Amino acid sequence: MDTSGYVTLSRQTGLWKEMQVVANNVANLSTTGFRREGVVFTEMVQALPNEGGGVAMAAARARFSDPTQGSVNQTGNPMDLAIQGSGYFMVETDDGNRLTRAGAFALNTEGEMVNPDGLRLLDVGGAPIFIPPDAAVMSVAQDGTVSADGAPLAQIGIYEVQNEAALSNQMGTLFDPGEDEPLAMEGAVVLQGFIEGSNVNPVTEMARMIEVQRTYEMGMKFMENEDERIRNVTRTLGQRA
Amino acid sequence: MNALQIAATGMDAQQMRVEVISNNLANMNTTAYNARRAEFADLMYRQVQAPGSVSAASGAVLPVGVQLGMGVRPAAVMMNVEQGASTQTGGQLDMSIEGKGYIEIALPSGISGFTRDGALKMTGDGLLITAEGFPVVPNITIPDGAREVTVSPEGEVYAMFEDQVDPELLGQITLATFTNEAGLEATGNNYYRETNASGAPQVGAAGEEGRGMLRQGYLEASSVDAVREITELIEAQRGYELNAKVITAADQMLGATTQIR
Repeated sequence: MDTSGYVTLSRQTGLWKEMQVVANNVANLSTTGFRREGVVFTEMVQALPNEGGGVAMAAARARFSDPTQGSVNQTGNPMDLAIQGSGYFMVETDDGNRLTRAGAFALNTEGEMVNPDGLRLLDVGGAPIFIPPDAAVMSVAQDGTVSADGAPLAQIGIYEVQNEAALSNQMGTLFDPGEDEPLAMEGAVVLQGFIEGSNVNPVTEMARMIEVQRTYEMGMKFMENEDERIRNVTRTLGQRA
Repeated sequence: MNALQIAATGMDAQQMRVEVISNNLANMNTTAYNARRAEFADLMYRQVQAPGSVSAASGAVLPVGVQLGMGVRPAAVMMNVEQGASTQTGGQLDMSIEGKGYIEIALPSGISGFTRDGALKMTGDGLLITAEGFPVVPNITIPDGAREVTVSPEGEVYAMFEDQVDPELLGQITLATFTNEAGLEATGNNYYRETNASGAPQVGAAGEEGRGMLRQGYLEASSVDAVREITELIEAQRGYELNAKVITAADQMLGATTQIR
């Protein structure tokens, strides 16, 4: 009798988490290279003492990151790169190398390609990419080969991991591969002058938001009824005694 | 409660995007203006359940964890270093730079500014200045009696005189390039200042070491693409509305919570 309120409660807290995820997706509607996220609910089964079967509590225990490609927008900026299909750029941070889909790059004072946070983009060999300052035209071929005035300089590394779902998100649209060692990918396609937007679909997010909101209200209604029921039980039993 | 704050960061971001777009549109006819673009990145994540933590005594680990994002932040307002179209003006002292490079000017504070706005003028003494009145570095003076001024693609300024057959070389307009042009500090009035991000200017003759050429009688138009800006504006507006909707929904959920006893 006393578990039903807690079962609803477990669902309600989970729904708040899901609402946060939806809010985060919508907030990152125009974040370059952002990957939409979702929550997966799992049940925690608790056996009932006398009767068979059990009570299942819901818990938001897993998250998924949607790997579909975001919309590719033309910017015309030669330093903007988008990856067509799967694969990630690799940037260097103090805590090790991180993967990213955000392809808005610029040059730092040393002439190396960096992302807006100043992290250096790495080539296939894991070295930074240097563009000589006297280069008039810088171009990136489809396979990621960077050339300045027609002379090839380096090849931008496009990496892949075994399990994309296990990538851990980090501030700045970065993904931490963790134990999963990223490997250079064959046949990756890089587009110059384009940028990959966020893959958040506003319609889906709104639908999910409404669903979360209404489910939450339903849970609240249930708790109200439950409150009413327990009150009645107490009152009725009190009268009989 | 976080959903409210997260949606607020989203609204802030879209608001900033609209500001950048409106500045671009306002500068549609500004000589040599480079369009800017707001760039966003996600905020930190709250680890509710770290991926890889042990979930059972058997040693099984969670393949994926629960990470809740905290919203969005502006990462950069990038300058789209892109050459605008050259428009013919026929002006004797109008200069457009085809390719990379900036004209160095001396600011009243004594430091150097850099501009691609080549609509040059003359003072009463014949000194070449920008429309704002800042002299071009190195200084070039066009003496009285100069009949026709020509500027070669390399920046050499020649003048013809009544009593001479050959044109006289008055000086050379040099161009400065930067390792990272996008890192220049925009100060308004069509000029930029060097920063730690841009690197030191490399000054030299036009047409050398990747520097562009000068075209006399042309001006560089603004590189703002109105169609692109309007598309972005629509996106930003709708994005703002969507974030507002999330706030409404989260508010209603909180409202439902307070209604139960």
